[in-house]
Amino acid sequence: MIKVEHLNKSFGDLHVLKDVNLELAPGKCNMIIGASGSGKTVLLKNLIGLLAPDSGDIWYGGHRLSEMDYDAKKSLRQKIGVLFQGCALFDFETVIGNVIFPMNFFTDWPEEKKRERARFCLDRVNVKDADDKYPSELSGGMQKRVGIARAIALNPDFLFCDEPNSGLDPYTSSLIDRLIHGITEEFNITTVINTHDMNSMLEIGDSIHFICGGTVMWSGDRHSILRTECAELRDFVGANVLARHVISESVSSR
Amino acid sequence: MIRRFLEATGSYCLFLRQVFRRPEKWRIFWRQFVLETDKLILSSIVIVGVISVFIGGVLVIQTASNMSNPMLDRMLVGYMVRETLVLEFCSTVVALILAGKMGSNIASEIGSMRISGQIDAMDMMGVNSAGFLVLPKVMSATFLSPLLMLLSFALGIFGGWCVVEMTEIIPPAKYLAGLKYSYNGFYLFYSGFKMALFCFLISSISSFNGYCATGGSMGVGASSTRSIVVTSILILLFDLIVTQLMLY
Ligand SMILES: Nc1ncnc2c1ncn2[C@@H]1O[C@H](COP(=O)(O)OP(=O)(O)OP(=O)(O)O)[C@@H](O)[C@H]1O
Ligand SMILES: [Mg+2]
Repeated sequence: MIKVEHLNKSFGDLHVLKDVNLELAPGKCNMIIGASGSGKTVLLKNLIGLLAPDSGDIWYGGHRLSEMDYDAKKSLRQKIGVLFQGCALFDFETVIGNVIFPMNFFTDWPEEKKRERARFCLDRVNVKDADDKYPSELSGGMQKRVGIARAIALNPDFLFCDEPNSGLDPYTSSLIDRLIHGITEEFNITTVINTHDMNSMLEIGDSIHFICGGTVMWSGDRHSILRTECAELRDFVGANVLARHVISESVSSR
Repeated sequence: MIRRFLEATGSYCLFLRQVFRRPEKWRIFWRQFVLETDKLILSSIVIVGVISVFIGGVLVIQTASNMSNPMLDRMLVGYMVRETLVLEFCSTVVALILAGKMGSNIASEIGSMRISGQIDAMDMMGVNSAGFLVLPKVMSATFLSPLLMLLSFALGIFGGWCVVEMTEIIPPAKYLAGLKYSYNGFYLFYSGFKMALFCFLISSISSFNGYCATGGSMGVGASSTRSIVVTSILILLFDLIVTQLMLY
């Protein structure tokens, strides 16, 4: 389980995260939602240790992230898969090379087995006939999928996805949502997803945390979100036409 | 200003410590080493060669035209060309050229990986990104660049010889005799050592600048410019220091 306690982070005068407290449920799709610029990416980078918090703690199980030494962090990171907002595929490697990359470092498997595992991951995310292409030759949706395949290459215990479906059409984005959800259940991974996409939230959000003004303003699941009392969250969710209908119905029926 | 300099030096040292951690897998290191050698050393052969041949030729003409005094033996032309090449041109001047070629290549490559998040992605896998990306470059540049120095020396001498043969500005036999006159093997070692040191500075400082790049493609451009300026100045400074220490 991942726990965040009193996390603060600022850049110069800009106080992005103010006293954030969170518990992320193991084996579930945890969603962090919020408007653009609300600090989702900054929170995620703090969670995975790419940014150091100004104050506050992040716990992985019984271990405090800030107290881990180089080796402990290194072995923790091998259990973490990350899909970055911009995918961050290695442009000096092919598609299959990208998926094999972490295996080269952390396994002693023979070449055959690595390719087999990479093929398995790529099949799982429905990337076919693109093994020898370079990332710059792929569409945005393909890049996301290859990014997911790379993230799950070493069977991680934790999967972090930063906006997995930004810039994708509704069909592909729901495909990717279901893909991540499926992987989460199949391999019993703790997944954390940053998004401002209402559809994916309602489709796969097992546990949802709403960030506004630098703090977690609301936590709950996808069933309770449409009946929320929290005005800011209602405005945020209500920006989606369908959800607006449901909300106004639930308000008028009270 | 002084504080910024100290800060940069401090983070450069920390960066080097990260670079020189033991590689996770030697096999990966050697594979990268070969790739980097191709990119940094082999691809520099043409430019170093062309420049050396021409400078060798020019040196012969200039030296000869400055030694028209009949009291001076014409053999001294060959001698002076050799000494100029080995003492200063083949290491310092060639290193300044490489500072532009290698430095901008390294800084922009690593800088664009930084701003596109690829370095973050490596760190998140638990890979030592500085070690994986930078160590092979530094090793290849440091240990193989003396070969470029030797090549430059040989081609400079050859360029001078071509001019002597074609123009008969001095008798070819005198040129060859001058080349052999009072030969000091230590100078070759001195020059090779300088070259290795300069290429270490070029590769590590450019990598450091790229690794710390921020602010999009403008930042990458700025980091590559900064690498060239800083390494050029440091090359001249260390040239002075090493020469004082080794030759005096
Ligand atoms: N490295 C940085 N330096 C300075 N300010 C930053 C930095 N990274 C983020 N910020 C600021 O922090 C705030 C939150 O940014 P963040 O990227 O977390 O937003 P986000 O919620 O992920 O938005 P989006 O949904 O558009 O991705 C922004 O105002 C941004 O300007
Ligand atoms: Mg973001």
